[in-house]
Amino acid sequence: MSLQPEQTKFAQAVGNADEINELLRRYGVKFGIYKNGVFNEQFFPFDPIPRVISAEDFKGIEKGLVQRVNALNEFLFDIYHEKKIVKDGIVPEDFIYISKGYLAQCEGITPKNRIYSHISGIDLVQGKDGEWYILEDNLRIPSGASYPLIARELTRIAAPEAFTNNDIVDNRNYAKLLKATMEHANCGGIRAILTPGRYNAAYFEHSYLAEHTGSVLVQNDELFVEDNMLYHRTYSGGKTRIGVLYRRIADEYLDPLTFYPDSLIGIPNLMEAYRSGNVGIINAPGNGVADDKGIYYFVPKMIQYYLGEEPILHNAPTYLPFYADDMKYVMDHLEKLVIKDVAEAGGYGVVFGNELSKEKLEEFRKTIIAEPRRFIAQEVIDFLDLPITDNGETVMRKADLRAFVLSGETTKVWASGLTRFSRNPDSFVVNSSQGGGFKDTWVLSR
Amino acid sequence: MGTISIEHGDHLYWLGRYTERVFTTLKALQKTFDKMIESEHGYTEYLSYFGLTDIYADNWDFIKSFLYDLNNYNSLAFSLERAYDNGIVLREEISTEALSFLQLAKDTLAKAQKAPNPRFALLPLEDLLYGFWGCVYENIYDDEIKNIIKCGKAVERLDLYMRMNYSYKKVKKEYTRLCKNLESIPENTPYRYNSFYYNELSDILDSSDEYKTDGQKAIISLGHIFDKTEVSA
Repeated sequence: MSLQPEQTKFAQAVGNADEINELLRRYGVKFGIYKNGVFNEQFFPFDPIPRVISAEDFKGIEKGLVQRVNALNEFLFDIYHEKKIVKDGIVPEDFIYISKGYLAQCEGITPKNRIYSHISGIDLVQGKDGEWYILEDNLRIPSGASYPLIARELTRIAAPEAFTNNDIVDNRNYAKLLKATMEHANCGGIRAILTPGRYNAAYFEHSYLAEHTGSVLVQNDELFVEDNMLYHRTYSGGKTRIGVLYRRIADEYLDPLTFYPDSLIGIPNLMEAYRSGNVGIINAPGNGVADDKGIYYFVPKMIQYYLGEEPILHNAPTYLPFYADDMKYVMDHLEKLVIKDVAEAGGYGVVFGNELSKEKLEEFRKTIIAEPRRFIAQEVIDFLDLPITDNGETVMRKADLRAFVLSGETTKVWASGLTRFSRNPDSFVVNSSQGGGFKDTWVLSR
Repeated sequence: MGTISIEHGDHLYWLGRYTERVFTTLKALQKTFDKMIESEHGYTEYLSYFGLTDIYADNWDFIKSFLYDLNNYNSLAFSLERAYDNGIVLREEISTEALSFLQLAKDTLAKAQKAPNPRFALLPLEDLLYGFWGCVYENIYDDEIKNIIKCGKAVERLDLYMRMNYSYKKVKKEYTRLCKNLESIPENTPYRYNSFYYNELSDILDSSDEYKTDGQKAIISLGHIFDKTEVSA
């Protein structure tokens, strides 16, 4: 295949991936995956050809993402307080209360500085027309920032001239941004990152971010609440107060006294300490209501409602079978749409109509009619393929971009991101758990 | 002391033990390799140290098992995996750089399995372990925490030296090293020594004659050195 001259320049900038992959291996850049119930650690395949975003493009993305995340934070405050957006008929009540992410236990809680989504992972794709589209918002525990962070550090060792010869924004400030974000939510005490443990898919990231933000990496059995404060039980028999907890476990497992009473994990009374403003939790519990695939449809309306602005970045054209008009459209065009189950994540529950047999399509049609709230339908965006190296050849593959937006004193977009690509030429699914790889994301400084 | 949990304290101790086990076992296996040059069953002495039965067809069968077999709890590969398991949960304490030495050690062992001369291919493993410890000591600034890994390392080395019938001079040196580490552990912390077993160990290892007659008892006392309940003589 042939590349444009500009693409060729960047494709050759880093050179061979072998040295970088050797370094990534050396530094244990892995993710965990369960296959047939057995845990395996895999190295995350890195492609040396960077995704390059021009300074002008990034400026637009940055503005659009800040706008979007600010609106989502307003929405979360509203939903757990007055619900004005529902009362004003912008978002139907059904989409709030049926959402698995809505947690009644979070009603009335106002986190410090009114920030709910401190770290937002927004997935985007670029269409062939050059336009960027939002694919989904991840406001609970978005992962992936550590991979481009360490990859950049190692690429600078393996291919220093790539950075001398190109004007690339230095992205190695992520830990600093994260630390400042954590400090902004700190209610008095040390910073801690709560991990489910070594056998979690993103354990590398948890430990790497703890190391680089100078936070203590903890597991739930090392923590306890006393006098409505969260503490870390120390080796010498003492206790240290935790002021902010960057938790990497799901809401439902945070506190068995609030959520699952049968759960063996979690920290009893954590939610009460949080509600009292004695500990910050990053991201706030209950955020799932805002990154629900069904709520995604309403984000542009939220921007207009809360900020009085027109959305800068657009959603992929989306239909809600919940609405009669949209249901009709979905039924008439099912074979060309991509259908997503709102309850699924990680690339699962995604069905491309054109890949279904006639019988399966009819079966699926009935499921959508029976459970309209469970699905959204989207036009398949003809998104820009990116070059990757495959056995020494350059081939084109589907890729997305997870941008990281950090909300502290101000809302900032990290000038980088996780570009994931599909290794399968026929697939749109880029998730690492399904065999995808990643590449560095260069934001040009001019 | 810095805010580390009891669990991380345990991982540090066992990280010290398993990395030392890899190191001392590797040295002993290198000597065994040498004996194998002239003997078809040059490994029998090694098995006798640990009271193990000879179920191996030849030198190569033994080597394959004691170097690479993860199902053999006495193998280098098994100890290295356990060292890695304990290290991987301590990244923010010991650093990504330190962990990279363990990853390189695993890779070196895997490569040696395919090499025509494993003895030669394993030489860098020793360097990597020196690099690992240096990096760990460099990154842990709290002496009390650093001492936990040193204690694990010293206990393991002394235990193996005694089991492998090292000379009294060498055992005494390692015992002295362990004493310095043990004396630095504050009271009422998990790795504070048990006075009864510590005194028993001292009585034996302070004299070469006692060591000759009561060496086995010294191994047992060392095994109880962190027992929680104090025992009256």
